[in-house]
This record gives sequence, structure tokens and C-alpha cells, in this order.
Amino acid sequence: MFGKTSTTIFKYGSVSLISVVLVAGLAIPMTVSPQSWLEFPVIPGLEEKARNLFFHVPMSWTAVLAFFFSAVYGIRYLRTKNIDFDVVSVSSAGLGLLFSILATVTGALWAKFNWGAFWNWDPRQTSIFILLLIYGAYFALRSAIDSEEKRAGLSAVYTILAGLTVPFLVFIMPRMMAGLHPGAQGDASGKGPLFEANMIAPNMRMLFYVSLIGFSLLFLWLLHLRVRAGRLEFQQKQGER
Amino acid sequence: MEEFLSANQLYIVLGVVLLIWAGIVSYLFRLDKKLTKLEKLMNKG
Repeated sequence: MFGKTSTTIFKYGSVSLISVVLVAGLAIPMTVSPQSWLEFPVIPGLEEKARNLFFHVPMSWTAVLAFFFSAVYGIRYLRTKNIDFDVVSVSSAGLGLLFSILATVTGALWAKFNWGAFWNWDPRQTSIFILLLIYGAYFALRSAIDSEEKRAGLSAVYTILAGLTVPFLVFIMPRMMAGLHPGAQGDASGKGPLFEANMIAPNMRMLFYVSLIGFSLLFLWLLHLRVRAGRLEFQQKQGER
Repeated sequence: MEEFLSANQLYIVLGVVLLIWAGIVSYLFRLDKKLTKLEKLMNKG
């Protein structure tokens, strides 16, 4: 699926970028009035928890990327009926589910100390819960069909439809409703998220983008590995017949 | 070094995180190699 040069970029790019994010994201001190690039500002109410920006948010982003890939390869399967595209589509959906679960769990841990409870049906939590159900159902659907072609066709259609819900559930719905998650609207009484996107300092924003790129490259590497394993499995099954 | 670490305990956690990351990365590299070997084996036979 990917050439040799791209996979080398995925490997070494993700390893080096994520390493930088781990070191810088954890070790750069937070001060009330930062004097240099190597200091993060304190966001009142968030304090050290603000570092979650570098680790939790990329999980969600990577999940979106994975579901997008899954839908694109679903379309490619329907156009060509090439079973290899089904392997890519299902591998990507599986990684999307993994990163969604990581986003949910890391978000719940953060919520406990920011909002007082692991789970409180914030619009953001509700939307990712629906997303987990949608893609959980995708794998239930796949496991219920024995015929390879039928399974590939139906799950391609499903993953395209599911992919259409992703932007609404991740980018639109949680931003339109009153909630506590950063990015949400405040409610009528003035209660809302502790900070807005424009409160992120330039150096934090830069490290955040590095993290997004690093985890995206890690996803592509993992996808490449998973697809190759899926192809071997398929070849093996063909050989048995 | 030991004194520095007892005074700045965040760096101990950073060490732990980096060790875990190194472990996962080396596992992924080995998995990558193993898959390459299997692919060669399958395409020969």
C-alpha cells in the first residue's frame, strides 16, 4: 500500500516526533508569566492538566483520520471489488476504534480531576460514546457474515455511512452544545469550558501540532503493519482452499 | 544525578514514560521485520 520511502518516514518520523512531544510536553515547566519559549503559561483551573493537550487530543484526531481512511478504502472497494481494499478498510477501522477508546479513557481520567467525575455525559463524552457504538456495530456486522465478498461489500457501505457521521460527532455537535469540554459553548448561566482555543500559547500550540503529526505518522505505520498481517492471513486462507 | 532526581521527581516519571515508549517502539520494529520475513516466505512457496 505504501512505498518504502513513505514507510521509512512513518517509522522514524513518528518515533522522533512523539519522543520530542513526550520530553517537551512533560518536562517544560509551567509558570504564571512565561519569559521564554521553554516555559508554558499556567491556565487557571487547568494548571498541569493542560499538558493533556499534547497526549489526549491527538488520540481523537488519529481516530478521525483512521475512520476517514476506512471510508475512503470502502469507496475504493466498491469501485473495484478488489478485496485488498477491504483489508485496508477494516484495518483502519480497527485502529480508529483503538484510538477512540484511548481518547475516551484518557478523557475520563482528565474529567475526574477537572469536572469531578469520570463520566458525566458531557456532549463530547456522549458523542464519542455514540461513535464507539457505531464502529462496534461495524465489527459485529463483519463477524456475522461468512462470505468474503458479501462481508466486504456490506462493510464498505457501512463504513462510508459511518464515516459521514464522524465530522458531526467529533467537530460539530460538541461545539454547538453547552458543555464543559474545551471548545463547547457556555450555558445561559455562564458555566462552560475553562479555556478557549485562543488561550493556548504559541509554543504549546506548536508542540500540539508536532504531536498531531507524530501520532498521524504512528497511525500510518501501524496501519501498514496491520494491512500486511491481514494480507498474509488472506493469502494463507486462499492457499488452504 | 541522584540528588537532582530526588529534587525534580517529574524527571523520574519522564524516564519511565520514555522507557515504555522505547519498549513499544522496539516491539513495533521487530514486528515489522517479522512481517517482512513472512512475506518473503509466503511469496516464495
